[in-house]
Amino acid sequence: MDERPVSPALKIAAGLMFLFLLAPLLVVLPISFSGDDFMAFPPSSWSVKWYGAIFANSVMMNAFWISLALAFVVTVLSLGIGLPAAYALVRLKPPGAEALANLFSAPLLLPTIVLGLALLLVFAPMGLIGSFQGLVAAHLIVTLPYAVRVLSTALANLPLTVEEAAGMLGARPLTVFFRVTLPMMRSGLVSTTALCFLVSFDEVVLSLFMTGPRLQTLPVAMYNHVDQQADPMAAAISVLLVVLTLAVVLVVDRTAGLTRTFVK
Amino acid sequence: MIHAEPTEMTRLAQGQGFLSLRGLTRRYDHFTAVDDLNLDVAKGELVAFLGPSGCGKTTSLRMIAGLVPASSGHIVVDGRDLTGVAPYKRDMGLVFQSYALFPHMDIARNVAFGLEMRKVPKAEAAQRVKEAIAMVRLTGREHHRPAQLSGGQQQRVALARALVVRPSILLLDEPLSNLDAKLRDEMRTEIRDIQKRLGITAIFVTHDQMEALTICDKVVVMNHGRLEQVGTPHEIYEHPKTAFVAGFVGRINRLPGRASGGVAQVAGITVSAPGFDGPVDVMVRPHRMILSTGPVPADAGLHQLSGTVTRATFAGDILEYEVEAAGTLLKTEASTRGGEALLAPGTPVTLSWRPQDTFVYPAS
Repeated sequence: MDERPVSPALKIAAGLMFLFLLAPLLVVLPISFSGDDFMAFPPSSWSVKWYGAIFANSVMMNAFWISLALAFVVTVLSLGIGLPAAYALVRLKPPGAEALANLFSAPLLLPTIVLGLALLLVFAPMGLIGSFQGLVAAHLIVTLPYAVRVLSTALANLPLTVEEAAGMLGARPLTVFFRVTLPMMRSGLVSTTALCFLVSFDEVVLSLFMTGPRLQTLPVAMYNHVDQQADPMAAAISVLLVVLTLAVVLVVDRTAGLTRTFVK
Repeated sequence: MIHAEPTEMTRLAQGQGFLSLRGLTRRYDHFTAVDDLNLDVAKGELVAFLGPSGCGKTTSLRMIAGLVPASSGHIVVDGRDLTGVAPYKRDMGLVFQSYALFPHMDIARNVAFGLEMRKVPKAEAAQRVKEAIAMVRLTGREHHRPAQLSGGQQQRVALARALVVRPSILLLDEPLSNLDAKLRDEMRTEIRDIQKRLGITAIFVTHDQMEALTICDKVVVMNHGRLEQVGTPHEIYEHPKTAFVAGFVGRINRLPGRASGGVAQVAGITVSAPGFDGPVDVMVRPHRMILSTGPVPADAGLHQLSGTVTRATFAGDILEYEVEAAGTLLKTEASTRGGEALLAPGTPVTLSWRPQDTFVYPAS
């Protein structure tokens, strides 16, 4: 990366921006260490009891495992469907590839609440509400556009000549794909994985429509909890989620390079 | 008893050449990139495809490689018709302008890739990789990634990678165009040395006439998808068949004239133009024109034109002049071997040249 001098005005603007983005955390972090029984800022006493309360709460722990399994399945499926789709769009260029690519990103343009309502109307008669399969399908609608987008860009940025070179050296098309194309897409694959995982793990609106009393994702469980009780446990969970997100982002940065992965 | 190897017989029947192109054509929706290309390349020859960008030279190479399907025509290698055969079954080596190395593999694995695809036993493959890397003088860099090497080194890796599998034909697509001038000269000689040592048949696509003339056995000049002329570098330079070849290979002066009865009148002089009638272009290479300030003996058998220097440039080893003669600006040059001084603009001069250095073409 090239280093350029940054003007003081830009530094101040960037600082204000960061402050704006981090402001919620500045409130949530102290509250999560509150010793009070209700949310108040600033807390009157300090403790870590609400972190302990999370692990003692079976509803929350169940929801956590469901969210984790859900994010895992959704990510694997997003890659499994997104990669062939991206390959077809970019490399095979069927007629109307452009229109198809736009169609695939259409769900991103719709407000999630509209999507959620539509899914509810379609899934309810099929008995998919409150089922794991229903949740997976709902989340895929949001994660697939990201997957196809990021993977298409990664694929389109690869120099075709490198794959041609492999072919000239005697590699069959499938060998070229696995030995040359896929390894060269590494940063795209890492960022797609991270993106799909985080989007699925954090998804609230669609999940609210899809979950039932027996099946709750973590964000939905948190929502319900906050709805009924105003204790600081939700703040403690939020902090843990921020830590998890940060961990994923750090892994991406270390393995693929953050700016190269997300900015391009 | 008459006996010949079957491949030999087929080859002769196909009509000469280790590599034969027969009516090779590539049409796109709105234009024809390569139009009816016929060519025979003998075993061990280095042949240049030379022409300006868009002339069809790269498309021709990619059709030979199998990366672009031919619209019609045939590609025959050693008696075997390869038209329609997938690239990975063609057993050809291709070196790209952009090197096209595998960025995620080190140098040794890049070079070994083709051997791995051919399932060459490990020990033998390791030995051949070692030799190939030594051949391009990169021993010690085996475990570097391509990005850690300079452009010239990367292109040498690409060359080693293409040659290690001992392909039937080596294809080079503007392999030197991304290198700086000094490196280009070195690599040019290096490619020629390696090609000769291995005795491999090779096609070298280039837009640089120097590359084509200096290292190739044969030059194929192309323009607008058509073959203009095939010949040795000497033939191409000294006997250009078309005005395009004369202008593209080397520098040229053009004088408009008119021909009738086997001679052409141009700028007040008469040149031999057998078989021409009507408007013609008479062409002479600048460095074949001798510039003199004194009188030129009339019995020297040279064509002569009087004119005035309009521009004089000192270029170190030569002096470059622009001379106005008979209403046309002509370029010429003089050696500085004897320490000659630059003539001032306005100096009256005589340009003279040998009749055999005069080319005549129908006016374009």
